[in-house]
Amino acid sequence: MVSPASAAEARPASLAALEVVPARQARRPVGLLTAGSIIAALLAVPLAFLLLESAHAGVGTVADEIFRPLTGMLLWNTVRLTAVVTVLCAVIGTGTAWLVERTDLPGRRFWAVLLIVPLAIPDFVVAFGWFSLSTWVSNFRGAVLIMTLAVYPLVYLPVAASLRAADPGQEEVARSLGVSRLRAFFRITLGQAKGAILGGCLLVTLVLLAEYGAFEMIGYQTFTTEIFTDLGLPTGVPTACGLSLLLVVISLVVLAGEASLGGRGRVSRSGPMAQRVAPPLRLGRGTVPALLGVGLLVLLALGVPVGECIFLIVQGGPPAITNSVSVSMLDAAWHTAAYGVCAAAVDTMLALPVAVLAIRHTGAARHFLERSTYLVLAMPGVVIALALTYFTEQDLRGFGYESTPLLIICYAIMFFPLALVGVKAAIARAPASLDDVARSLGHSRLAAFSRVTLRLAAPGLMAAFCLVFLSVITELTATLVLVPTGVQTLATQFWNYQSSGSNSQAAPFALVMIAVAALPSIVLGRFFNRTARAQG
Amino acid sequence: MRQLSITGLHKAFGAHPVLTGVDLDVPAGAFTAILGPSGSGKTTLLRLLAGFEQADAGTITIGDRVVDGPGAAYVPPERRHIGYVPQEGALFPHLTVAANVGFGLHGKERRGRTDELLESVGLAGLGSRYPHQLSGGQQQRVALARALAIKPDLVLLDEPFASLDAHMRASVRADVQHICLSAGTTAILVTHDQDEALSMADRVAVLRDGRIVQYAAPQDLYMRPADPALARFVGDANLIDGLLVGAGGPADGWQAHADTADGPREHSGQVVDTVLGRLIIAPSSRAVGPAGGAVTVLVRPEQLEITERELASAGGRQPGCLPGRVVACEYYGHDAVVRVRPDDAAAGQTVIVRTSGGPQLSPGSAVFVRARGPVVAWDR
Repeated sequence: MVSPASAAEARPASLAALEVVPARQARRPVGLLTAGSIIAALLAVPLAFLLLESAHAGVGTVADEIFRPLTGMLLWNTVRLTAVVTVLCAVIGTGTAWLVERTDLPGRRFWAVLLIVPLAIPDFVVAFGWFSLSTWVSNFRGAVLIMTLAVYPLVYLPVAASLRAADPGQEEVARSLGVSRLRAFFRITLGQAKGAILGGCLLVTLVLLAEYGAFEMIGYQTFTTEIFTDLGLPTGVPTACGLSLLLVVISLVVLAGEASLGGRGRVSRSGPMAQRVAPPLRLGRGTVPALLGVGLLVLLALGVPVGECIFLIVQGGPPAITNSVSVSMLDAAWHTAAYGVCAAAVDTMLALPVAVLAIRHTGAARHFLERSTYLVLAMPGVVIALALTYFTEQDLRGFGYESTPLLIICYAIMFFPLALVGVKAAIARAPASLDDVARSLGHSRLAAFSRVTLRLAAPGLMAAFCLVFLSVITELTATLVLVPTGVQTLATQFWNYQSSGSNSQAAPFALVMIAVAALPSIVLGRFFNRTARAQG
Repeated sequence: MRQLSITGLHKAFGAHPVLTGVDLDVPAGAFTAILGPSGSGKTTLLRLLAGFEQADAGTITIGDRVVDGPGAAYVPPERRHIGYVPQEGALFPHLTVAANVGFGLHGKERRGRTDELLESVGLAGLGSRYPHQLSGGQQQRVALARALAIKPDLVLLDEPFASLDAHMRASVRADVQHICLSAGTTAILVTHDQDEALSMADRVAVLRDGRIVQYAAPQDLYMRPADPALARFVGDANLIDGLLVGAGGPADGWQAHADTADGPREHSGQVVDTVLGRLIIAPSSRAVGPAGGAVTVLVRPEQLEITERELASAGGRQPGCLPGRVVACEYYGHDAVVRVRPDDAAAGQTVIVRTSGGPQLSPGSAVFVRARGPVVAWDR
């Protein structure tokens, strides 16, 4: 989960120099454009059906649903939470990234791993851990605490990568020009990381807009929880549609805002690729407070949810363990992993043609295709699931509803932008000139692509795969809507136990989910670490 | 025998024309340089030759095979049999040196030929290394071996030395030239560096604004450039105004230094009056106007000789000597470049003189500047 902006930076400067003529091909890439258009059409399906369904319900009805006092309350809840959590995440994520990457904080490599592990803990598990610890953690204050702890790695990860890649010489130049250390930090270091910070904040905002499980658990009402409730009501269709449209508009505003703030900023490094490692800043007397701060963060974000789960299991005693570690858990784990692998494979393959178009070709078609994926970013999972539900109910007479392929398609649409970020970074690592050389040595276009580009892109494709896999495993909202009848995933089984108050039986599922998700998140961390190094 | 023939080649990207009618014939076994400033379209020309792009109009013939042209099927790069050495070598980073060299070969051929090729580029025994373990010069030689492995009809070198350190560049250039010569390959080098083009190539084609403006041997290009702008592009140049005198007049510079002149002895018989005295015009000059016609004259810095005024013979100013003062002196060890401003402001701008050895001249020194050898002139 990195920002699109930081992925754009992931192109090694030395390789960029290889392309004097900006990637142009002998002929129009007809095959790629066709594939790209089909993918764009698939991504547009949810929005199209949401609009159709709203039109069907009648503009007046939908408008009535939007303009009522409840909407104002939901809007206020959503906006204040988003604003507070985004700012907190920006501060915490950037601060910890700076401590780990630029100072002599003891145990930096150890902290670097612990700080990203919360990425593997679903937001609703963080909420579960805190809420079962104390009911003080509810409403607005609870939502702020839980969401900040759950999503700050979305800022930490891209900012750390960008600080690692940025030229430390710039800070030294600033100091030599008479700028104080503090001002150099604000003007240069933060300037270098600006794109990454904004990109991370964008992801935080979008996650907050789409979150369901955590808010439902602690009783905090937002658009998404309300849409989910309406979805279950027989007469809820117009309300759900109206609120969904409003949510999409808010997301689009956020996306436009990020773009206008210069979120496309890049880290630029001139000169050859020899990377100089900056001598870490000495914290001196600040060491102890910094250690305490980072330690406290890890304790709250990682220790509390995991510890509480373990405590609940121990408290429940042997029956809880034998109950859950049974056929039902194996079955749920199997389904979860299978869905994850399928969706990740589909997304990685779908992202390939779009990424190749984006990196190696210019032109209006390419921009259109890239932008169209942004539309998906603005569609929270519940909205996509809702659109697909209506689609199968109304247009296919229920055919395909709650079927495995539909769930996979839903995941694939939801997480396509994530896959694209990873695949683009991967393709950028393989300069087009290498394919040219392979072709001049007698290989067809396809053979050159598979023998050179795909081989070089393999680690990045793996990262994209992991990113989608991780997201599917921890997905709850859309899964609850679309999961095939009689099937349980780790997330839905956890949710069922938790909703019925069987916390000690829910806890093992939470732990297994964390364990399954931790591996891909460590792979991801390593990949972005290396990308940043190769970039230097 | 012609190995490569290009006629009327056009290429535009959108509304932006890049090549506007390129014609070029390259004989088999020759080492040809395509020299052009950045943006002149030289990389596009190379990519058209390699088949990475398709021409809008015109024909490319390699050997006796039309690879791009009207009516003929466009031949994709993998069937052109052209060796391509891109900038910075572009070695496959995930493959060993041996696997890089053998990339275009198949089966049994690969094993035997890889060692042979590595030896021919002086890298025997390094086959198991990875590209990042090699120096820039070694990488460049591996890239060349990889291109030569398929026994190409033509090798294209795209600014291959631009990324090398200055001290390494000369030796890698010599190596590459030697390897191509001994392989008997026809090679085309694209570069923006005129020293590189002049020193390596048998013939140099200068590409400007999408056309070949001159295609000549290096000496001809340097001494008889097609126009004043080209004169500047291929080296330091003094471009001074002159008036044609007509045939037969006595020439100052030429007469005084006939024995040491490094230009060709024959001359057109035309003579031109300049601030550097009366100079003989080389026969291939484009100045054909009548006596009294205004021309631009090219005098290369090494065609000028500088003497300190104090040391000049007591007879004072000789005919053809331009009095001036040194403005700046750039010392290079093997030679020095001296800029002299004429005392008489009407004599024009600063002239550049290249001296080999001799005393170090400090700014402000009073000197005489005198020209040797025939010059090139163009009608104005």
